[in-house]
Amino acid sequence: MKRLVFLVLGTVFGFLLSRAGATTYDYYAKLFLFQDLQLLYVIATAAGIGMMGMAFIRRYRPRSVLEGQPITLEPKPFQKHLIPGSLVFGLGWGLAGACPGTALVMLGEGKLGALFTIIGLVMGTYIYGILVSRKLYPARQYTGAVATKVETKKAG
Amino acid sequence: MTEVIVWSGWIGGLGIGLYALFQLLITGKVLGVSSGYCSLCGCFSRAAFFIEQKEKDGPLNWRLWFLLGLPLGGLLAAWTSPGPVVASFSLGELYDSVFPSAVWAKGLVLVAGGVLMGLGARMAGGCTSGHAISGMAMLNPPSILAAAGFFAGGTLMVQLLFWIFA
Repeated sequence: MKRLVFLVLGTVFGFLLSRAGATTYDYYAKLFLFQDLQLLYVIATAAGIGMMGMAFIRRYRPRSVLEGQPITLEPKPFQKHLIPGSLVFGLGWGLAGACPGTALVMLGEGKLGALFTIIGLVMGTYIYGILVSRKLYPARQYTGAVATKVETKKAG
Repeated sequence: MTEVIVWSGWIGGLGIGLYALFQLLITGKVLGVSSGYCSLCGCFSRAAFFIEQKEKDGPLNWRLWFLLGLPLGGLLAAWTSPGPVVASFSLGELYDSVFPSAVWAKGLVLVAGGVLMGLGARMAGGCTSGHAISGMAMLNPPSILAAAGFFAGGTLMVQLLFWIFA
């Protein structure tokens, strides 16, 4: 049942991404060529609406419908390589004319090029996961590091 | 290529912003997509990183189900648009003018774009939805920095692409 809820939520989000123009390749090129800022307006409005809602949720701590627990907002931590990582992501974003979510939506629309983008996304994620698992790449998110940090905090 | 209906930017953003809040109120989960690709990798890989991600998300594996819904949303959006639903490798007027026309060559470029996004999203700890929408909504400083980096990288790539090949 819960799985069905997430499947439906994904469908709704995918539909909205499409209507927002986030599955239309041209909008990505036009955004970064500063010809049409459609997607910037989308992100800015979405983040603005979110800001008001998140402030409300922080203040009143409502319970989620599915879990019945008060909603907690854990902001993402500062990853060690956040800046180079975000630039690398941006390069791919501009090159593929899609982002990790919209590539999947595009596939549903029959934009078959997204198939390649999705294969690349899985490959990139897999390479990162293997490098971290073999300790060839230091990830702050990796529990080993997080656990030690919490312990030292407690000891201090 | 399928032509879909596109709302004006602020209405689209309003819809996505309200959706993100709706998801949070219903499920208690913050909107984010790229970690779902870890769940996807966890389906075939036993690497410690993916197993850990699986444990963090619990047996429900909600990210995977959410991810599966996205193409259905695309199909729905295409069906409800006036034109026919067409399967094609076209990337639209602008990208097609700078990319090679052979499908395999175009595919290689897109795979490269995907790899960069997959690696970058994990290094930064999120993608456009997790950092730029959810993170900025929380006014989380790392997310604001990441969103700026996304835009800087995208601008650099597309400006170069069209400067060299157009």
